[in-house]
Amino acid sequence: MNAVSPDENVVRAICDDKWDGERLSPSLFKGEHVSVGRLTIASLADHWEIFRRFVEDPPERNLKLVGEINVGVLQKLGREYNPVPVALTVIPTPLVGFPSHAEIPQYITRGLANRILRVLEIHEHE
Amino acid sequence: MPTTFSSPGAGTYKLGEKLINDTPIHGVHEPLPNEGAREDLLLKKLGARGWGRMHHFRYYYQPRWGESRCKSLSPRATEAFFRFLESVKVPEHSSLPSLFLTDQGGLELRWEHHGKDIQVEFTGTGIEIYCSPDDQESTASHSQASELAKALSAA
Repeated sequence: MNAVSPDENVVRAICDDKWDGERLSPSLFKGEHVSVGRLTIASLADHWEIFRRFVEDPPERNLKLVGEINVGVLQKLGREYNPVPVALTVIPTPLVGFPSHAEIPQYITRGLANRILRVLEIHEHE
Repeated sequence: MPTTFSSPGAGTYKLGEKLINDTPIHGVHEPLPNEGAREDLLLKKLGARGWGRMHHFRYYYQPRWGESRCKSLSPRATEAFFRFLESVKVPEHSSLPSLFLTDQGGLELRWEHHGKDIQVEFTGTGIEIYCSPDDQESTASHSQASELAKALSAA
């Protein structure tokens, strides 16, 4: 499947294991196969509902925030990251009930995850 | 006239469908011998927020939690985390460190000290350290937890 266009914006669910009300955990983006949702397929409001169904497991795990980033910005951060630049891509991986699902397959280091957090636009539920 | 009741026995009652719960029981928690001391340590170094979060991670996040089928809390990571916590001096004039659970079953601490963003992740195999603003990343073994805590306290 073709990679998501750099013009698109994607969103990441932020649950209480990665947000304590004061600070965000960089492990939100650290690692490989990071799950995101595409805003061209489903709206931000729809993603709140979708995320609740998919990420609130166990039920005591609560969705607290949604972080948004542009794919082109994400790729630029990867390309310019020293000492190890990485060519980040976002690959559509639609799921039943979550058609906007996509993944960042490459490994993201803690340092790069910190750079991503700095530009992440945070949405609180209205 | 006295009322009589039939004696209970098989078939006396049956649970309605809504009351039947097949949720698996994940086990009964038995406190460790040093659990009291660890509770005190959590409260002292991370405050009520950190103490509550640790409980949350231990008791609710069973294997395959979350959308990515994540790992439950690693016992080895937990041991290293407590050894670190015993020796670390938390900054007095800033907010207490934040505690997070990683998708790999590790524990992560994050706080600020002298303008630096300090992050320490305890994984099942070792410890990862990150300090901004210069993006310094390094690793340590579990056996170096106390030594690392002292070094970061003095930094």
